[in-house]
Amino acid sequence: MNPIERFGRIVVGGLEWLGGIASLFARLLVVGPRSPLGVDDIAAQMVHQGVKSLPITTFLSLFIGMILAWQFGWALKDFGAVQALGYASSLALVCELVPTLIAITVGAKMAAGMTAELGSMKVTEQIDAVAALGADPIKKLIWPRVVAATLAQPLLVVWGNIIAIFGGMLIAEWVYGVPAGYFYETYIDELKPIDYFCSLTKATTFGVIVGLIGCFHGFNTKFGTEAVGVATTQTVVATSICIIIADFYLTMVFF
Amino acid sequence: MTEPTVVTPQTIIEFKKVTKAFGDNLIYEDMDLLVRKGETFTIIGGSGLGKSVCMKMMIGLLRADSGEVLFNGEDVGALDDDGLRRVRRKVAYVFQGGALFDSMSVVENIGYGLREHAADRRTVTDELVREKATTCIEMVGLETTVLDQLPASLSGGMRKRVALARSIALEPEVILYDEPTTGLDPKNIKRIGDMIRKLQKELRVTSIVVTHDMPMARKVSDRVAMLYEHKFPFVGTVQQMWHSKHAEVRDFIHGTLRRPPAGQPVAREGHHGA
Repeated sequence: MNPIERFGRIVVGGLEWLGGIASLFARLLVVGPRSPLGVDDIAAQMVHQGVKSLPITTFLSLFIGMILAWQFGWALKDFGAVQALGYASSLALVCELVPTLIAITVGAKMAAGMTAELGSMKVTEQIDAVAALGADPIKKLIWPRVVAATLAQPLLVVWGNIIAIFGGMLIAEWVYGVPAGYFYETYIDELKPIDYFCSLTKATTFGVIVGLIGCFHGFNTKFGTEAVGVATTQTVVATSICIIIADFYLTMVFF
Repeated sequence: MTEPTVVTPQTIIEFKKVTKAFGDNLIYEDMDLLVRKGETFTIIGGSGLGKSVCMKMMIGLLRADSGEVLFNGEDVGALDDDGLRRVRRKVAYVFQGGALFDSMSVVENIGYGLREHAADRRTVTDELVREKATTCIEMVGLETTVLDQLPASLSGGMRKRVALARSIALEPEVILYDEPTTGLDPKNIKRIGDMIRKLQKELRVTSIVVTHDMPMARKVSDRVAMLYEHKFPFVGTVQQMWHSKHAEVRDFIHGTLRRPPAGQPVAREGHHGA
């Protein structure tokens, strides 16, 4: 196969993939809101995806806050402006690092879990069984997962932002001698309502991406145990790429 | 050879000039097939030729590329979601591996269809589901102690019987069995065969069975259809099939058919090429 043909196949494959995701999203918007909403299923997924991701979110956010504060502090020290550490850290953490890094790590974990679970159901014909027993697999299996991911991501980001401030406060106090309380006040002072909105908008968008991609790859898993592994790997890659691209566009919108 | 596809008042499922392909892989081409109400109809044929595809088209899990798949005279391929639900209420599918939901207990698996098809889910109480599940489990010869177990703790034979119990919970008109005895020991094969016959008599269901198990096919079937070269050219009673003069049928049933490369005639033991 010559390079042009190979490139063409990649482009066509990418367009087919995007079409599949868009088609799934459209179908979800039609069947999802129909009664019953499936609140019990959504709640169960919120616990499975969101609550069980709290420990890793806490760990990551703490270190994100500490690392960023340390690096910013190091740069500000040269200018004798280390007291501005709170001002400098806030926007980067709230609007960028916390929502994006949580989405790429925790979100990709959620997506991979969805792909593995749905992919296993696909290869054992359980998805066909759902349909054969009179239920809509998209409503029963995908809708609760996508909704849960969409709701869980912003909630995890809110928690992550709180923990990240705490991490920054620790480094400000211990490493640079900036009082933790002063760091906190300057941190909050720098942020405007639009910045919180930016953080939550990114988180919600990333949640939709995580849910859609995770479920799409699970539903389209080919048969065989190897296929489940392949699909899960593809999910992690696709989720990461799409989150970064979405992050870029959302950053352009807000800044 | 082929029985004429005459539509009778007793026809329950009919395929009319159905074509189905997956990419370049042609499965059916202008395929006709007719299943009568109340009979046990068995589909046999080589591995990977698409027997399960035929059954999945009966309940709209797969759609034909052209032609019609009729259930009680209604084209399944043209139905919307509500129409398909209606068909799936009446036609139950027992999957090859059982396809039990791993995260649900046996009683929850059996109650799944009951809850989905209920006009008002609040009327389907846990007590009602357990009562129904108990009846169905006993009908398939299992102890009620399995009701609260997860599928992973059941043997292969038990999983198949639970899958059967799940299928009969809605009291369907038709039960589709996809390789019901694959992977089972002789005792369980006999058990499943007896169960198919028993359910046909007691529930008066039409049964359609896809199988490679020739002894079981002979035991349970009223009529047998053999998939060959994208169609069902050989359809007949058990007696007709087992004493068929057609070499393809004889060779398959007695295990001597070798599938030729595309375009070449069937090779049989004792013959060498065309």
